[in-house]
Amino acid sequence: MNEFLEHGLNQNRRKFLSKLSLGIGGLALGSLMIPGLFDASNEEELFANVLPHFAPKAKRVIYLFQNGAPSQLDLYDYKPMLQKMHGQDLPASIRNGQRLTGMTANQAKFPLVGTKFNFAQHGTSGAWFGETIPHIASMSDDLCIIRTMYTEAINHDPALTFFQTGAQVGNRPSMGSWVSYGLGSENKNLPAFCVLLSKGKGNGQGVYSKLWNNGFLDSIHQGVQFSSGEEPVKYLTDPEFIDRGDKRKILDEIASLNQEAYKNIGDPEIVTKIQQYELAYRMQMAVPEITSLQNEPESIVKMYGPECLAPGTYAANCLLARKLSENGVRFVQLYHQGWDSHGNLPTELMGQCKDVDRPSAALIKDLKQRGLLDETLVIWGGEFGRTNYCQGALTKDNYGRDHHPRAFTIWMAGGGVKPGVYGETDDFGYNINSLPVHVHDFHATVMHLMGIDHERFTFKHQGRRFRLTDVAGKVVNEIIS
Amino acid sequence: MDIKKLNQWGEWCIWFLNPLLLLLGIYSEASKTNNILLWFGKLHPLVLHFPIVFGIGIVIYFLFFQNKPLEENKEKVVLVGNSLMASMVALLGLFLSKQDTYDTVTLNLHKWGGLSIAFISWSFIYIKKIPNSYKKIIALIYLFVLLFFTHQGALLTHGENALSIPTPVVVAEEIKTVDSSFTVYEKAIAPILTQKCLSCHGPEKVKGNLQLQSPELIVKGGKDGNILNAIQNEEALLLQRIHLPNADEKHMPPDGKLQLTLEELTLLTKWVKAGGNFTKKISEMAKTDSLAILAMAYKAPTKAVSGSKNTAPDLKEYNSSYLTVNYLFNGSDEIEVNFFQSSFYKKEQLSRLVKIKDKIVSLNMQGMPLTKEDLAIIVQFTHLKKLNLNYTKLSLNDIQPLKTMTSLKNLSICGMELNQNSLTKFLEKAPFSEIHIWNNHSNEKEFEQLSTNYKKIKIIIGDNLDAEIIKLTSPIIEQDSSIIVTSLDVVVKHFLKGTVVRYTTDGSDPDSLSSPIYTKKLHFTKNTVLKTKAFKPGWISSDIAQKTFYKSDIHPDTIYFVTNPDKKYPGSGAKTLTDYELGEQNFSNGKWLAYRDTTMKFIIGFKQTIHLKEAHFNAFVDNGAYIFPILSIIIEGSNDGKQYKKLNEAKFPSLEKTDVVRENKSFSCTIPAGASFKFYRFTLLNLKKLPKWHPGKGTPAWIFVDELFLN
Repeated sequence: MNEFLEHGLNQNRRKFLSKLSLGIGGLALGSLMIPGLFDASNEEELFANVLPHFAPKAKRVIYLFQNGAPSQLDLYDYKPMLQKMHGQDLPASIRNGQRLTGMTANQAKFPLVGTKFNFAQHGTSGAWFGETIPHIASMSDDLCIIRTMYTEAINHDPALTFFQTGAQVGNRPSMGSWVSYGLGSENKNLPAFCVLLSKGKGNGQGVYSKLWNNGFLDSIHQGVQFSSGEEPVKYLTDPEFIDRGDKRKILDEIASLNQEAYKNIGDPEIVTKIQQYELAYRMQMAVPEITSLQNEPESIVKMYGPECLAPGTYAANCLLARKLSENGVRFVQLYHQGWDSHGNLPTELMGQCKDVDRPSAALIKDLKQRGLLDETLVIWGGEFGRTNYCQGALTKDNYGRDHHPRAFTIWMAGGGVKPGVYGETDDFGYNINSLPVHVHDFHATVMHLMGIDHERFTFKHQGRRFRLTDVAGKVVNEIIS
Repeated sequence: MDIKKLNQWGEWCIWFLNPLLLLLGIYSEASKTNNILLWFGKLHPLVLHFPIVFGIGIVIYFLFFQNKPLEENKEKVVLVGNSLMASMVALLGLFLSKQDTYDTVTLNLHKWGGLSIAFISWSFIYIKKIPNSYKKIIALIYLFVLLFFTHQGALLTHGENALSIPTPVVVAEEIKTVDSSFTVYEKAIAPILTQKCLSCHGPEKVKGNLQLQSPELIVKGGKDGNILNAIQNEEALLLQRIHLPNADEKHMPPDGKLQLTLEELTLLTKWVKAGGNFTKKISEMAKTDSLAILAMAYKAPTKAVSGSKNTAPDLKEYNSSYLTVNYLFNGSDEIEVNFFQSSFYKKEQLSRLVKIKDKIVSLNMQGMPLTKEDLAIIVQFTHLKKLNLNYTKLSLNDIQPLKTMTSLKNLSICGMELNQNSLTKFLEKAPFSEIHIWNNHSNEKEFEQLSTNYKKIKIIIGDNLDAEIIKLTSPIIEQDSSIIVTSLDVVVKHFLKGTVVRYTTDGSDPDSLSSPIYTKKLHFTKNTVLKTKAFKPGWISSDIAQKTFYKSDIHPDTIYFVTNPDKKYPGSGAKTLTDYELGEQNFSNGKWLAYRDTTMKFIIGFKQTIHLKEAHFNAFVDNGAYIFPILSIIIEGSNDGKQYKKLNEAKFPSLEKTDVVRENKSFSCTIPAGASFKFYRFTLLNLKKLPKWHPGKGTPAWIFVDELFLN
């Protein structure tokens, strides 16, 4: 402070500081009147009272993720033009210089591939289905088929991460974590977000736990991965010499120690730890009841296919997903690997469909007959689509397809979506003709179905409010019933 | 008291008050007050006039009397006094703002205005010696702030017409009877406006110069003009405002006030679109007119809910670990209830819900062990729309009382014993529009007739696949190891109840008659090919599941490479082949040795000469990953480690174009009897050129090997 100004203000540092001590007293009094002013973020609690923003159509989600990207051109998006032009080069006007992956960018030619499989129309919407998925096709009247999904990523990991977390870099919370954070668990004895993995015989791509990570949200919202063995949740059974009463006492003691530590250190992860132990304790009772598939009646076994009794198969995971969802798990995330058919597509696709077709359809039927489909949203789809041109050598009945992010098909069922076909791709199945749906739009729509306004659903982290949809995303109202 | 001391005390108070003020101002939403403070808040309108008068005085002093200033200490008394009062008033104002709900925009303006007045007043104490012209500018700003923001306060308490000439107020007459001789306005519109709008646009407060208590005033409109007529392409102003998103500043009713329900929104919209008629009676309108129908059906809430706070009761007390009770969404009045985990079900939990029975619209009791008494409680939830009684052990007879619940539309009773007759009786005069009756032995034909009889009820029977015949899955052989050191126990499993697993150990395929039935774990001591197959009546028998177990009773004393494996797959050196650990399905887990550009060659050695009968290699084949079968195995023997003699060669078929393989395979080579050696050299050839049909045509194929078994 220069002396002139100091003189003019009739104030100096010593006076200012001595009087400031009074001001601090004022602040201290004020802070008493604002509960939680100096607490860590308590946004969480606020959300519990604010969400859902409006009446939800779907209370729960089962997301059947087809990892590796199934070929929309061999399953849902029927393009006779490709069969007519089979073997001819992809017109440059269609590709329009758009980028390709490193795997085919250097190919001299891009021969178009018409699907090898027969297509037929099913249901009142007249949607087309390939012959390899007869059971899914039979559910046509329940499916909302979006043919015009598109994404920004062209390789598996970023694309998968984008679909799961709304960002291509892997540090954001997964969709299921957001839902767990916003809506909490319906059943307090089970995690709000469960993850089930299975593997097909086709060319596989990895799934990593970052896909069901809680990101910057509290780690209680992390997806709980059920293992594929006979004991879906590991270390849940007590050793023989410990009974439940003892266990309770042990946990209470540990909790009080943790409380003490929390008081001293204030790390919110300690509170999470306490909650997790509590949840695990309650899961000890709930999980065995839910995961024992042996008591399912034979007609259910036949519906999902007998593989559903072998732990770790896609069929078993679909059946388990139904049981978890029925018991109040908000978000059940399945991944089925093996759809990445760069070569040998026809053979690999048949194998994948054999795994997936019957159980996927069974899940919808099963929810429907129990009166649960109207409140459960089922989503089926991969991280992108596959190209209309062949990767590698094109022979009479063998071909491969590369990654194609510009237009692909996913479907949803139940949970307030309107059955029918949405959007249209061009005759080559390469670009979108009308009604594009971006990944952000998809997220916005799913959130909307769950009664959440994606623009108001934020979490403040490192000085910025984050959303699942980042700064984009429009709800696709046309597919909402 | 000495005037200097007085000033000092005053200053101290201000230094205490102003930071407090700033803090409470910033966190005014979060701060809590108690009743005493609220009472102090009421003093705000009482004392606020002092600093206004003082402030104006000071402005005049700064503007016109700087050539004749007061004595220093006296001047300071005035400035300190003013500042202290301004701060007090602002603080009381903050308390008052907690008491009632005000228009948030005006309130915010007033709040920050008040705070700036306090802070400018404070600064007056310390700007004594700055040039007079600056003081005059600050004084003018102060005057403006003072007048403008205190006027905002007047708007808050006196309504927006605080300074305009009063107009006579007409209150809509109360409607006493309800029949079609009333107009739509009287029957529905006026009650909606009264309940949701009049608190701000009515006789008491007149915001935006708009009053809505009588037809004349509604037609008159507000400060933006007419509210009922569509202007050019735009909707009528009233409709614009009520349809804006809640977060929009101009949305009506404002965020925080009681919102319009969907029904009310529709009514207002239809009424305005139909011309906003005040005189047309419902009886004069067409019977099919949706506006008339809606208006007739509209029931104004009996008690107007006052205030903006959600008055719905807190549901915490009803929730437990095994029961969730929640509003459908934030602001909703309707409650959904879910019970979980039957073993913890208690009747008391259900009976406690009777207190909120009129709000429960959805109840899920799937799997709960319910009795007739429980059902008697459920029947009291007369507003229930959706009820899930799947697998509850109640019988169709038990749930007869549900038919009296006229709001109940969606009922699920999966798993309940029923037949066509009993269901026919049950559905007679039932209020349901959808019923789920699936159980594992019902079939569609049985209930076909019913669906045609009750067209209004959607009967969902579900799928029954008992009659469908499908194939069983293969049994599961539970033994990770395939190496028998001395002996090995093998467990075989099948998950479907009632399935019989038969097996063979001689390489033949199991059949449904003669092959032994698996009952307890198998015990192997020599090379065995185990083949298993599952059988069950009503199912197609499974494919064969098989696994080969190798006796490996010979362990070489030394083993070393002649050619090194590929750098990416070095395993843990040559001993990888004899570590009794298999690499399983994952070829990049470090348990595999791989060759591609070089031919695999290695030597095993023994201290004594030994006769080998047979060598088995476990290899991985995955044509998608360019891993092909071993082409041939050549075994040579030597006693000095220099001169080798070829003992045998075994050749294996390569893959066909149609093969899709991704599995472990074994490759064996026998050695003719007669000769014993100390050293054996193995050469494993890979395919040097992939076939034309393969994507990698022309390049060499990989071989992956993880174990060698010797006999």
